[in-house]
Amino acid sequence: MLEKGKLSGMRRTIIIFFGIIAILSIIRVATGASDLTSVGTAQAALLLSVPIVLAALGGLFAERAGVVNIGLEGMMIMGAWAGGFMGSKHGPWVGLLAAIFFGAVGALVHAIATITFGVDHVVSGVAINIIAAGLVRYISTILAQGGSWPGPSQSPDVEPIGQNGLPILSGGKYFGWQSPDILNSIGEKNWFLISDISRVLRGLTGELSYVTMIAVALVPISYYILWKTSFGLRLRSTGESPIAAESLGVNVYAMKYWGVLLSGGFAGLGGGFLAIVAANHYQENQIGGRGYIGLAAMLFGNWRPGGLLAGSALFGFADALQLRDSAAIHALLLLIVAFLLFAAWRSFKKGQRIATIVALALAGFFAWFFVAFEELPGQLVTMTPYLATLIVLSLASQRLRGPAAAGLPYRRGGLK
Amino acid sequence: MAIAVELRHISKRFPGVIANKDVSIKVESGSVHALIGENGAGKSTVMKILYGMQRPDSGEILVNGQSVQFKKPADSIEAGIGMVHQHFMLADNFTVLENIVLGYEPSHGGVIDFNAARAKINEMAAAYGLTVDPDALVEDLGVGQRQRVEILKVLYRGAKILIFDEPTAVLVPQEVDELFEALQGLRKDGLTVIFITHKLDEVLRVADDVTVIRAGSTVAEVKASDVSAKKLAELMVGSELPSPEIHGSAKRNEVTLSLSKLTVLAESGARNLVSDVSFTLHAGEVLGIAGVEGNGQSELIEAILGLRNYTGTVVFKGEPLDDESVSERRDMGIGFIPEDRQRQALLMSSPLWENRILGHQRGKPVMNGVLIDRKATMKDTVRIMQEFDVRAPGPDTLALALSGGNQQKFIVGREMSGAPSLLLASHPTRGVDVGAQAAIWNELRAAREKGMAIVLISADLEELIGLSDRLIVMLRGSVTAELDPTKTTPESLGSAMTGAA
Repeated sequence: MLEKGKLSGMRRTIIIFFGIIAILSIIRVATGASDLTSVGTAQAALLLSVPIVLAALGGLFAERAGVVNIGLEGMMIMGAWAGGFMGSKHGPWVGLLAAIFFGAVGALVHAIATITFGVDHVVSGVAINIIAAGLVRYISTILAQGGSWPGPSQSPDVEPIGQNGLPILSGGKYFGWQSPDILNSIGEKNWFLISDISRVLRGLTGELSYVTMIAVALVPISYYILWKTSFGLRLRSTGESPIAAESLGVNVYAMKYWGVLLSGGFAGLGGGFLAIVAANHYQENQIGGRGYIGLAAMLFGNWRPGGLLAGSALFGFADALQLRDSAAIHALLLLIVAFLLFAAWRSFKKGQRIATIVALALAGFFAWFFVAFEELPGQLVTMTPYLATLIVLSLASQRLRGPAAAGLPYRRGGLK
Repeated sequence: MAIAVELRHISKRFPGVIANKDVSIKVESGSVHALIGENGAGKSTVMKILYGMQRPDSGEILVNGQSVQFKKPADSIEAGIGMVHQHFMLADNFTVLENIVLGYEPSHGGVIDFNAARAKINEMAAAYGLTVDPDALVEDLGVGQRQRVEILKVLYRGAKILIFDEPTAVLVPQEVDELFEALQGLRKDGLTVIFITHKLDEVLRVADDVTVIRAGSTVAEVKASDVSAKKLAELMVGSELPSPEIHGSAKRNEVTLSLSKLTVLAESGARNLVSDVSFTLHAGEVLGIAGVEGNGQSELIEAILGLRNYTGTVVFKGEPLDDESVSERRDMGIGFIPEDRQRQALLMSSPLWENRILGHQRGKPVMNGVLIDRKATMKDTVRIMQEFDVRAPGPDTLALALSGGNQQKFIVGREMSGAPSLLLASHPTRGVDVGAQAAIWNELRAAREKGMAIVLISADLEELIGLSDRLIVMLRGSVTAELDPTKTTPESLGSAMTGAA
């Protein structure tokens, strides 16, 4: 049953993916905002999505084990700092391992507080966020005074990590052989839709950091672990019904610890990615709320790897556009209008009157906004990724179902 | 005969309560051994100790002659003990298959072999007549099917000693028969069954030996063939068995509730959950609704209370209710005893006085304007505890610290507060002991004499027949028969419920 569902889900995903590119190319032609489907945008979108995907995967493992992890942000901070600190001394790969380890250390604190001592999950998570930020600032200041760091808010540079692309299609380099770059050549032809698709695919498959490849691969791997292995089943059972799990001899505490520690490892890697791959050093405030966004992507993705990937990609795309070209953001408004109309039509078919009206009203508002303002004010442009993600996700995912026991304290022998 | 399990002088105390005091039990292998006692007598605690969910303060456990120390359920599973819990231990959002294999997965290098598990489950299900779809989500299953999942879970682990904690509390007679057949099959295969119950007729039907527990201690061990139900009842509670009888008619002229063509649509466009149900209920009358679980009785009651959308009309004391919210309906004088007390009627981790507020949060005595009147609520909670014999240390006690029977008596007391004109009672004595059952019956009878109208659902057919003035039978959402309880036996009602008659 699951197998069948997955297959049709796969097909649906592909259709949706190409459908979105088709709509984007129409808007591109209509508005002339060429950055909507450029190679650079796709590349930037991927780069911006990866930390969010990693944070979301972190949230996934924790929540599936029944622990709410608001502390993702703090664990990412620790990861980013460790990445900068160890990466600048011992090279990027050691830096990434240190990032994972430090994220897991932050998670260990969260696990001890919430699992062993039954502290409220949100309280513990928020505390970790605050402590992590303060702690790394404190140590960085000492390092800067000692002269080994350029300043209290920045680490020395880290060597870059290698990158590669798909052979033949995206111009990868293998054992000294430079492969052709077919997608790029098609992309430059400027054929409607075909070139658009080529450019987006080229952006997603060419000149990838090895870390990006690993991060993207972690999504299906997480699905496989959580839904196909004994470990995953047991981990999820402690988030659904820890008492049932306990009655079947599952070591609930151990599973929850695993979930939270893995969660911290993912978050730490996400932080390390920001310091080492997205930038070339650790910088204060580098995380900038990505832990929370990852958590939101996971919630809207219905606590599933595929869903959280879609949520993260959406945010990454909007963020990339905003950084590259504010004119493209203006064009993006049209996409939001199209999506809202689609949502309105769908809820109309289901007979949900209020949802239909809300979607239509929002569509009207954005259409008016598109026509009334040639150029968006800067603040609004910066805000767009958040706004677009919020609107799309809240309309797209209306029947969410998380683990039944997430956030609840658990005590062995809980049922008298 | 070899002894499969022996408990010697087990004692266990919880803060403020002594659950077990010097409990000793010997269970022969290959037998069905019943453990009986009132709710709260400590039966479940003994079994949780045997299953490793609780640790005894003192005493010794022997399995197949070997002294054992169970620190966690995994240890007892290892020793070949399995438990079918009264409150099902299932993850609702998991499939049957996932629930069964959890903790005991057939795997190659950590990857679960779901196909092998599915085949094994289907094979076992066929052998013992416990059919269930392995790929269904547990939340979509009925109570009887969930219990099958629980039994399969235990068998799947290769348990040789099976503990059943009040397995029949939630089943209709036909399902009980199927369960008992399965039990006999298990015994024939040489498995040992420990059967916790407070239903004496079942003990005599199915058990070889009986151990009686009263107030946390074992008081007798007898052969089932040597005793009568009366004798067991005396051992258990020290009194005679009560019976659910009503005398004469208390029916009055005024109509309390009338339904016409009430229909509840299924969400997914399947057949109606309730279709075209009409009846009239007078004050002082008890209408029993019989039916195998899942045939629309619960949905009907929920519709009357306004918890479900429906078409048709509900008129309460001459006023149409269809546009009223649940809270308005309750305020007009409708009380509700839901079928699942822990999920629907109580906040388990809140004290009793807070639970007293639920459903009455809009008026006296619990409210004083917009503020909760804690003092008055406490006082009224104490009143309920006295009038309805709720045995608990005080109104500050958490609901989860009470035994099932005392929880239920508390709920009945709460719903009777403010003297509603109509009581919707869904399984009011499910899973409670003889003493509490008699007390609840008394309250229902007294309320009926005073003119309360009652809609009663119960899986206990004797209770249903005994307490009702009129009986209707529901099958697949429709009323298929109306019966006179004075001329109905549990057997004839049972066949009417399955549509056999």
